[in-house]
Amino acid sequence: MPATSSIDSVQPDSRHEEDGPSHEAMEQAAHWYALLISGEADATDRARWQTWLAANAQHRHAWTYVEAVSQRVLAPLQDTPDPTLLASKVHDVHTRERSRRRVLAGLGAVAGLGLIGWTGWTRTPIVGVLAAWTADYRSGIGDIREIKLADGSRIWLNAGSALNADMSANLRKLTLIAGEVLVSTAHGDARPFIVGTPQGQLRALGTRFTVRREPEQTFLAVYEGAVEIRTAASDTTTVIAAGKQTRFSPDRIADATEADPAREAWSRGDLVAWDLSLAAVVQELNRYYTGHIALDPAVAQRRVFGTFPLRDVDGALAMLADVASLQVRKPLPWWISISSRDATPSPAQSR
Amino acid sequence: MSAAPLPYASPPSVDTLYAEHHSWLRTWLQRRLGNAADAADMAHEAFLRLIMKPAPRGFHSPLEARAYLRSMAQGMCINLWRRREIEQAWLDTLSAQPQDVAPSAERQAIVLEALHEIATLLQGLSAKAAQAFLMSTICGMTASEVGSELGVSSRMVRKYVAQAMLRCMQAHAAQTTAELRTSRAA
Repeated sequence: MPATSSIDSVQPDSRHEEDGPSHEAMEQAAHWYALLISGEADATDRARWQTWLAANAQHRHAWTYVEAVSQRVLAPLQDTPDPTLLASKVHDVHTRERSRRRVLAGLGAVAGLGLIGWTGWTRTPIVGVLAAWTADYRSGIGDIREIKLADGSRIWLNAGSALNADMSANLRKLTLIAGEVLVSTAHGDARPFIVGTPQGQLRALGTRFTVRREPEQTFLAVYEGAVEIRTAASDTTTVIAAGKQTRFSPDRIADATEADPAREAWSRGDLVAWDLSLAAVVQELNRYYTGHIALDPAVAQRRVFGTFPLRDVDGALAMLADVASLQVRKPLPWWISISSRDATPSPAQSR
Repeated sequence: MSAAPLPYASPPSVDTLYAEHHSWLRTWLQRRLGNAADAADMAHEAFLRLIMKPAPRGFHSPLEARAYLRSMAQGMCINLWRRREIEQAWLDTLSAQPQDVAPSAERQAIVLEALHEIATLLQGLSAKAAQAFLMSTICGMTASEVGSELGVSSRMVRKYVAQAMLRCMQAHAAQTTAELRTSRAA
């Protein structure tokens, strides 16, 4: 199978379908999948994955099976009322079946041995993303939620986010478990308003601000009032004023830069792109799309200007295709592929 | 029924096997399944399978035939139990939820289908690999979170996930190929 450089060569009904991708390509795809969902993949890994995907048609074909399994088998199970409980029950069934089969095979297995590890899991306090499923408030993929808190403050949960709210007699505390929240605090409440992330605590000083969890740090943008950051490890405090944004880790707060007002547009369901790379726009849209959006690296750095509806990813992509002269195809229902409309992009639209 | 342990003079026909072992098999299944109707269905299916896909080396004695039928029926019981337990697992998960969040009937059918599929796909995987896969995918836990739960490195978790994913992909690929062949033959 010849290697091609264009995303266009992925055809689910291609005549190579019956041959299937090589075992090697399948193995690599499985390893990429494991890395990408591990929470340990950084931008370099994702870029390498994109390169691998673009490198040849076998790779893309192998990846269609990853997509198929994720969408047909895994996605329906994630999107259930209590995936954790369900997963633990599936594992119980698997364990019982294993011991039955071992008895069948005459190996004299000790039934129930395999249960020990699992019991450990179900009894351990929930951690990380798992906690998102039991959070007070959470939003699914493509779902922006506006919530009015008991004190009158309003918060907007961006897609795929979760937080716990704890309103006590002398403290209003939100714990951001996943994703991003825009907070507009109520006036005239004397209790401190705190937002916690693993990297530190943010104390609102009469304000409107966005907090977003990133893999190793917290992003903060302040639109009104001010926010005081107290980092988790060093106890350093810094006040970020309106119109500024920064990122911080447990022991370090980056220098504040100008806040991009467009960053809060998501709370209205818009993505405002002002000289953003197409790659950044697609990454943002991916938060609102349950499938996979594949972007041809050849067009990833094109600059994009415009306002796009986040609640309608198909519509947003159609607009993008229009303004940036792109071809948007859906080789499979859950796979959107974006490439250049013509082999040589016109100079006006690329740079 | 006289199932004397004498060797067969010539390879027995399915009729012979049925006459000699069907009622024994049904009784054996009824003891395991505790239900006469299930046992009758399964005994019937076991013989259907024997017709569709005869034992590779045939049978030399009634004892051998019984051993073969027993292990086939045992496997069928395990599959049946798995299907029932999966259904029960789903019902239990649902009943732990308030009524108003219950998914629609179509949605439930999709979930149940996915559950049966994943339970089948996990077959043969080690308990840890299956657990790592379920926690990483369905629960969306990171590799290091899963690793600390299972007492393995996050690198190992990724290996488990890749192993399980590859198995699922291969099953899907085989299924797709089979479907393509069928649709082309049709």
